[in-house]
Amino acid sequence: MRLEKCWFCSSTVYPGHGIQYVRNDAKIFRFCRSKCHKNFKMKRNPRKVKWTKAYRRLHGKDMTQDSTFEFERKRNRPERYDRNVTENTLKAIRKIDKIRVVRDERHHKNRMKGKKTKEQREATKELEQSIHMVKAPAALANDPSLTLPIKVKVSQQKSEENRMEE
Amino acid sequence: MIQPQTHLNVADNSGARELMCIRIIGASNRRYAHIGDVIVAVIKEAVPNMPLERSEVVRAVIVRTCKELKRDNGMIIRYDDNAAVVIDQEGNPKGTRIFGAIARELRELNFTKIVSLAPEVL
Repeated sequence: MRLEKCWFCSSTVYPGHGIQYVRNDAKIFRFCRSKCHKNFKMKRNPRKVKWTKAYRRLHGKDMTQDSTFEFERKRNRPERYDRNVTENTLKAIRKIDKIRVVRDERHHKNRMKGKKTKEQREATKELEQSIHMVKAPAALANDPSLTLPIKVKVSQQKSEENRMEE
Repeated sequence: MIQPQTHLNVADNSGARELMCIRIIGASNRRYAHIGDVIVAVIKEAVPNMPLERSEVVRAVIVRTCKELKRDNGMIIRYDDNAAVVIDQEGNPKGTRIFGAIARELRELNFTKIVSLAPEVL
């Protein structure tokens, strides 16, 4: 049994999951779940929908060119069964997966390189531009118009009530 | 889900172009036909100068449905249209060619002639 890729989001379609749509020219579209199937029926382009792999690849969010992807590619020529080859492949899967995770992390780190300095630069700019909105606590105490008017009213009412009771 | 009054495309070169289901063969009060079922149909539209003509009553086997088909292995397949192949009483196709993809279920139902003529079996 083969693990196919979803036509819309490029995730793996496991057996018993999703739906296949066969067009009249015998082209098969496989979908991993009804979400992808519905998006296809709405004629959405997976390259323009942000959560799909196609979009992420196109916009450089994910790693695109890597030698580890070669192993996952679809091969149409059936391989002759060999016990040793199978064992070695099973061993290699774990190693390859580890390598890919490391490379993925490196790619993400590279992309996020300038993020911290950029955020700090933006924050300082905002502070410079809108410093006039910040008032010192001493200024607030002197000028009652800067505080909320409701608060003042409540305090007055309370004091009146207390006096009546006394 | 084919029921009486359903219009179907014809997926062969028998000369009919469009069929309308009038009866499903198999049981007395059968409601719907699916892929591989035989129906009695009337020809609504036909190609001129061919043996089959309009308003003729024929038998046909359903080869594609828009309604999803579920297989035992969990696979779900949906086709583009509702289509049938015109057959005679023995189950042999009247045409000599089949168009479009055809479901594999027909082979188990002894429509091997149709399956062998089909360009694509899915």
